[in-house]
Order: sequence, then C-alpha cells, then structure tokens
Amino acid sequence: MIGNDLFALTGRALRKWIRNPAAVLPGFFTALFYLALFGNSFNPTSLIPSNMGGFQLSASTLNTIKTAILAQTFGGATTYISYLTAGIICLILVFNMAFGGIDLVLDRQLGFLNTLLTAPITRGSIYFSGVLQNMVKAMSLAFLTFLIAIVLPNGLSLGSGFGVLQFIGVFGAFALLAFALSCVFTALALSVRSIDSLVAIVNFATFPLVFTSTALFPEAGFPAWLSAISNANPITWATDAARILMIHGSPLTSAQLSTLADYGAYLIVFALAMAILGYLAARRALAPV
Amino acid sequence: MASIIEARNLTKIYPPKTKAVDDVSFSVEEGEVFGFLGPNGAGKTTTIKMLTTLASITSGAATVAGFNVAKDPSAVRRSIGVVPQELTADDELKGIENLILSARLHHVPSSEIGQKSKDLLKLFDLQEASQRRVRTYSGGMRRRLQMAMGLVHSPKVLFLDEPTLGLDIQTRTKVWDYINRLNKERDLTVFMTTHYLEEADGLCNRIAIIDHGVIKVSDSPARLKEKFGGDVLSISVTGTTDLTDFLRTVPDVSDVTHDGQVYKMKLPRTEQALPVIIEGITRRGLKITEISFTRPKLDDVFLEVTGRSMREDEGGGEEAWVQNINMERAVS
Repeated sequence: MIGNDLFALTGRALRKWIRNPAAVLPGFFTALFYLALFGNSFNPTSLIPSNMGGFQLSASTLNTIKTAILAQTFGGATTYISYLTAGIICLILVFNMAFGGIDLVLDRQLGFLNTLLTAPITRGSIYFSGVLQNMVKAMSLAFLTFLIAIVLPNGLSLGSGFGVLQFIGVFGAFALLAFALSCVFTALALSVRSIDSLVAIVNFATFPLVFTSTALFPEAGFPAWLSAISNANPITWATDAARILMIHGSPLTSAQLSTLADYGAYLIVFALAMAILGYLAARRALAPV
Repeated sequence: MASIIEARNLTKIYPPKTKAVDDVSFSVEEGEVFGFLGPNGAGKTTTIKMLTTLASITSGAATVAGFNVAKDPSAVRRSIGVVPQELTADDELKGIENLILSARLHHVPSSEIGQKSKDLLKLFDLQEASQRRVRTYSGGMRRRLQMAMGLVHSPKVLFLDEPTLGLDIQTRTKVWDYINRLNKERDLTVFMTTHYLEEADGLCNRIAIIDHGVIKVSDSPARLKEKFGGDVLSISVTGTTDLTDFLRTVPDVSDVTHDGQVYKMKLPRTEQALPVIIEGITRRGLKITEISFTRPKLDDVFLEVTGRSMREDEGGGEEAWVQNINMERAVS
C-alpha cells in the first residue's frame, strides 16, 4: 500500500512541477548561468599576470604554470569548468532541496496536508513522497547541468575511460547527497508552520554548508581548521567523489580509489541516518496536534 | 437507528490553557444530517478535527462508525469522507485527476476508480469540466469537485466543514440540493459545521449550537425555534373592549401587548392556539379585521442562546492570508 500511496502523491507533485514552466525554466537557466558565468568569469588560472614585476613570462611558460595549477590545486582537471561542474551540481542540489520544502509548507497552509492526514494512508508515505519529489526534481536538474557542462565551449572534459560505470558512480554520489539532504529538508518543511521560518532556517544553514566544503574552492587554499570541517562535510564527500570520476575516468590510482570508497561509504551511512532521523521528525510533525 | 458518531465529554485544550472545546457530548444517528452551528472560534472546527483524527483529544472519547477515534484512527479514516473548509483541490491538475488522486489515496480498487469517478462527476454536474484544470473552475465548481473527492471511496460518514463558505446565494442553494440528495438517495450520514443559520435550518435534521467550546442547545431546528423563539401573532379587532386579560388566559400565550385595537403576543405555535383565540374574540361580540403572524428564525434562537448574533470573522494575519486565497478561489 505504501508503494501505491507514494506513487500517487509523488505523481501529483511532479505533474504539477512539469505543468508549471515558471518552476522548471529558472532551474535550467540557473544551471546555465552558474557554469557559463561563474565558470568563465572566475577562472583562477586567468588571474596569473604575464608580467611579474618587470619579468615577462612567455606564452608557453604561462601555459605551463596554468596547467600545473589545474593539475595540483584543482585535482588534475584540464579546464576550470571540469573542476567546477561537480561542485556546481552539488550546490544546485543543496539549494533545490532546501527551497523545495516551500511546496510542502504551502500544502500545509492551504489545507491539502489535512486532506492527506484524514486519508487512510501511512504517515511515512507523506514524508517519503516529499523526499522523492524533491529528489526527482533536483536530480533532473543535476543531469541537465552535467549535459550543459559538456556542451559548453571550454567546458567539462571527462577523463579518459569515463564510461557507464563512472557515470553511475558520479550520479550515485549525487543521488546519495540529494537523498540525505532531501530527508533533512523535507522533515524540516513538514515541521515548520510558515514559509518565512523555513526560508530563515534554510538561509542560515545552506551558506555555511556550501562554503565549508570543496564545492567551489579547492582544499589546497583552506586553513587547517577549515580543512578539518570540510573533510566532515557531506557536500565535500559527494563533490570530491564525483570529481575524481569525472576528471580521471578510469583507471584510478589506489589513492583515488580509496578516497572514493571512503566517501561512498560515508555518504551511504549519512543518507541512511538522515532517512531515519527525518522520518522520526516527520512522524512527530504529522501527529495529531 | 444506531448512532454512528458518539462524542462523550470531548475536551480539547491547546497548550498552555486555551480551552477550544469544553466537555462536549452528542450523538449522531445513522442517516442524519447533523449541523454544528456557532460563530467563528466557537469550537466547531476543533470538534471536526478531533472526530476526523486531525487533532488529539485532551480528555473524553469519541467513536466514529464504531471505531474509537484515539485508539483506532486508521479504521476511522477508512470510514469517513472529509470536505474541508479550504478549497484544496489542486489548481494545476484537471478535475478528473484530482478525483482519481483522492480515490487512490483512499485505496479504491483500480478497477472501480473509473466507474466511481464517472458517477460522481455526473452527480455533481462536472462531466464537461472534468478534463479542465481546476484553475479555470468557479467557486461553486470547486466545492462540488471537493465534495466528489470526499465521497469517492463511499464513506459511511461525510464531514463537511463550512460547505458553502464564500459562495453566492444561488450557488449555495445548489450545494444544499446536493447535500440533501446525497442524504436521501445514498442514506449518507452528514456531519456539517456552518455559521450560516439558514443553511442549518434548511438542511439539518438536528443541530447543536456551540459557543465558547460549549454546546448550548441541541435539537431539531423546528423544535428549537418553538422552544426559544415562538411565533409572534398580531390580531386587529373592531370595538373598544380590552382583550388583554382574555388573551393571557389562553394556554402558552405570553407577552401580550396592544396598541389601540392591535394585539400582539408570543406563542409557540399559532396553529394550535388560533381557534381558541378566534372563538373567544367572537364570543365577546368583536370582529377580527386582520390576522398575521411571523415565524421565528434560527437567528432568534441563536441570539437567545448565545446572547448575541453571529460574530464577525476574527483571525490572525496568516489565517487571513489563507482565507484570502480561499475566497479568491471561491469567487473566481
């Protein structure tokens, strides 16, 4: 029965989403702008001056330096966007999950949630349909962003040997992060009573979450304390795991493989923990008042 | 007839100590239309919320369709249909999609969903509109769709919370027709709240007037009017004989006043007392030139019971915002 309820509820939400171009199109453009504008305007390798205090670098020396920076600081990427894509996708996942809860708060405010609560469906299906609908929405944007990054000039160049398995790995990492975040934010959205409080909490939580991860900036520039926080940040796990696979394809070094295994395991544990905690919080939030 | 809703000493206290419903007891018989009448904030919606498993019960107990609301909420949910005050049908979905969603969430077998939806769309005159998005519906159509959604799983009891809120009078009358038909043709028990007095008067077999969380009176509208209002009879006669003393001796007549030869009095039912009065007046050799009487309205009962007429809406900012959205949907 829970499958039927989950399917019916998620279907409703996605149908509404697809029918409302005002909700779908901005997602597409956000992805495009992040990559095209952020990726090109803030390309750290173009910040290196060719004239250093009277010493003129030749074009080939400059290129060598740029390549070296990308290789050492930006995880061996050949272009800056290759490095950035995984981070931007995680950023998009975080923000979509965080604000995806608005629909759920509206459902409560406008009385739709009450019609669900008086129906003979399990409370779990209400929670998990919230998790699922936001996941489907955000993951389709993630995939779209991935495609945009590939077709952009000077964009994402996938490592040699990148194939179906690597693709599954990349999107598996994204999906685990998305699922875990969706659990957290769905439970939050079911627990608050107004959009104002949701937005306040989300704004408070998302920025520190993103900027203490390696989503946008390489760990090489972090002070030690930030490195420590970043290593415990699920966004870092998903970004770095996806990055290794995107940039290096196959085969991987044993160090890369072990990072991949660690982060994958962390993500699975994190996702399970958030699913359970979120479920408990949601059950409380949906209990008769 | 067996009672299908039983409430015994229901009390609801919202922390810290707002007593929304205070020691309320009533029972609703199978096949009855039972109306809960009261101003906003009287405890109507809280009572419905407790009976429909949305609100916890602070003390007391209730059974719906034979199931204890607090102990077996799932069984209660399977037996009831709820049409909330808010217009919750989804704007972006078609009428038929809303109906199917409701059917699926109430676990109507897939093989029956098609036929049931068809029947209900026909019953509520929504066949033609069923393929349109609800965004394009008028307020009356939304209400009808919502009632269909509440009935798609053939519940034993239908809860209607303010079923005609915000509708114009013609549309309102139509909704009353539907409720009447459902009750008569399908033998459906209806528990409804309203703060429109004429609605309760026209639709309900029995009503309870609730104010400040307490049931003040409960009976059929006719008997309540009889008990609290009574008719006002006015008789004009010829001649100068004072009839006051005689009129006071007629059983059940009270509050006799006169202005010249026009006498006014209160009495429970004019039909019963009128022959005695006419005979008495004729015997005294007087001629009656005009007789008229007014029937009491439920408004009079309400005023008498609660000490005031219906309060105006009172609500916080957010409540007002949600109400605005609903009103917009209702009048569109």
